[in-house]
Amino acid sequence: MDRNDSLSPFDQYLASPQGSPGTPVFSPMMHYGTGLTPQPVQSTDSLFTLEEEQQQATVATGQLLKTSQQATQEASDQTPQLFESQPLTTAPALGTTPLYPSPMTPMTPMTPVTPMTPAMPASEIAELVPQLHNIVCTVNLGCKLDLKSIALHARNAEYNPKRFAAVIMRIREPRTTALLFSSGKMVCTGGKSEEQARLASRKYARIIQKLGFPAKFLDFKIQNMVGSCDVKFPIRLEALVLSHQQFASYEPELFPGLVYRMIKPRLVLLIFVSGKVVLTGAKVRSEIYEAFNNIYSILKGFRRTS
Amino acid sequence: MPGGGRCPDCGSAELVEDSHYSQNQLVCSDCGCVVTEGVLTTTFSDEGNLREVTYSRSTGENEQVSRSQQRGLRRVRDLCRVLQLPPTFEDTAVAYYQQAHQLAGIRTARLQKKEVLAGCCVLITCRQRNWPLTMGTICTLLYADLDVFSGTYMQIVKLLGLDVPSLCLVDLVKTYCSSFKLFEASPSVPAKYVEDKEKMLSRTLQLVELADETWLVTGRHPLPVITAATFLAWQSLRPSDRLTCSLARFCKLANVDLPYPASSRLQELLAVLLRMAEQLAWLQVLKLDKRSVVKHIGDLLQHRHMLVRKAFRDGTAEVDAGEKEPQGQGQGQGLGDGDVGSSSLELPAGKRPASPALLLPPCMLKPPKRVCSIPPVSTVTGDEDISDSEIEQYLRTPQEIRDFQKAQAARQAAQSVPNPT
Repeated sequence: MDRNDSLSPFDQYLASPQGSPGTPVFSPMMHYGTGLTPQPVQSTDSLFTLEEEQQQATVATGQLLKTSQQATQEASDQTPQLFESQPLTTAPALGTTPLYPSPMTPMTPMTPVTPMTPAMPASEIAELVPQLHNIVCTVNLGCKLDLKSIALHARNAEYNPKRFAAVIMRIREPRTTALLFSSGKMVCTGGKSEEQARLASRKYARIIQKLGFPAKFLDFKIQNMVGSCDVKFPIRLEALVLSHQQFASYEPELFPGLVYRMIKPRLVLLIFVSGKVVLTGAKVRSEIYEAFNNIYSILKGFRRTS
Repeated sequence: MPGGGRCPDCGSAELVEDSHYSQNQLVCSDCGCVVTEGVLTTTFSDEGNLREVTYSRSTGENEQVSRSQQRGLRRVRDLCRVLQLPPTFEDTAVAYYQQAHQLAGIRTARLQKKEVLAGCCVLITCRQRNWPLTMGTICTLLYADLDVFSGTYMQIVKLLGLDVPSLCLVDLVKTYCSSFKLFEASPSVPAKYVEDKEKMLSRTLQLVELADETWLVTGRHPLPVITAATFLAWQSLRPSDRLTCSLARFCKLANVDLPYPASSRLQELLAVLLRMAEQLAWLQVLKLDKRSVVKHIGDLLQHRHMLVRKAFRDGTAEVDAGEKEPQGQGQGQGLGDGDVGSSSLELPAGKRPASPALLLPPCMLKPPKRVCSIPPVSTVTGDEDISDSEIEQYLRTPQEIRDFQKAQAARQAAQSVPNPT
């Protein structure tokens, strides 16, 4: 494919009706920081190579840059399919680019390979996958606990009844912290994935068993998941709060970020001017992905205004 | 003439029932004192004294309102008067306070919160009417912590479901600039520092608008930006005499507190102006630095729209990598987060003009403080076996337990021994 050909259909997409009339179309490529994808770009004509790679059913593992975001309708519809149809165990793999070839190959038949329309390649949207940072879960150990005895017999426990009525216990692998209450209920925080949180909770239960209590593992429930992502372009928060007044709250005198309370799914997002988004309040991973897709389509609309 | 009435001023019994237009009045015919107006009096003693009773004291509306709420309402009214707000603001703020007091969460809150609530209601009223009042001002008036204030403010906005618009920057600039004491000569302000208010105001507005356009205002507290802009505007109106004056001294002269971030905002604004100056042909040869650019701020502001467009690449228009910059910028060169110093992009061969820097917020231009490494893919399933040895590492050996108990007992003993006097 001739380089000129690859540029011309792309140029059409640059003429945005929202752009201010005076701004000329800038063509240079821009590399943004490390963020999610620290690998350097392999070639400058990434659109060219992307279309090539799409056809070859391999995904560019290099740093993919922002193409024009206008033609993303079909791409954004693709992403829910990508995430929901994949089994849970490979979901963590989506967050890291090196493993793309393995989980991605069965998926590529779903992505429409249409060389004529420079659609947002599914891989590029998939690059913007929110990363989970913290999971809070609760478990019922099913028996009353003697907190003083636990604090005495365990090395990794801390108990200060005057400050807080629970034992704080920590384990190294997975790196988590647990609050154990005398009623037998436990809160475990710090896990980076659902499986890690579950494994950590089981380890705490095993420690309590070894300390002589008849601990069980009942009602394991994930209460909160926190994730973050970077859309890689700056956002005009004042404009966003004007257009989404009923959901957004932006008080620069108090906090530099905008607090967006999404209704469906019911999550709270913190959006910063640098383009970084923190999502919290989710009970399942798919809520985070769904919320991010929603907010991404909203934020794209604020991209051209400078 | 009512029987038994006496004029409270001169004691005369000569009271005449007169009417001023349609209002009935009881007037003393000796001294002319108006004893009562209208016919609405409610308390017997007041009627006896022939004095009118104010509406709020006569209707008993305060009897249904708790004392803490009365105190809060009085506080709201006092705040409105101290801030010299228009009279309609007071009624709205009082209405908000009464509404808030109906909520169970507020009624049972601590006194501190109720005091702060009075300030929140005033602030919401001002924001809705585009009156530029900052939270800092209200917190100073209430002697409250900004954390406590922010918590109560966010809570009440959510509970009452109010739509509070953002602080209007233009109005804030006008109010804040007017508070600078630089418009008249005084013992502390020498004549060369005195400036015309209108000129300074218009230039400050232009500088703040420039800062807003170049991402210096989004996400930041608005006031330090305005302080920096006012300082630059003031300096640029008479640079020969004022370049020697520092930002801190300027604020002291003007009798205004210097907010801490103002100096870094000043540096950012100067960096933007310097990059704009590089696009003006007659300034390119001068090789300006942060001090000398102040002299040319007037010119830069006059052509600011064109200069910003020329000086900066659109940071938001992330164009695909397939396009190459016509100036022949180096390929594959990871610009990282973009170089602020566009001079570093200059190719060593020949005098090519520096390629435009990226128009991005400063937080995106600075290199990341710590490298965000992608965490290794964890292949945890959650149902793995947990080895006994792993659990045992977290349990104390019997010897350790004995030692720990001994240490605890020793500590208890040490604490229980009374201090020798």
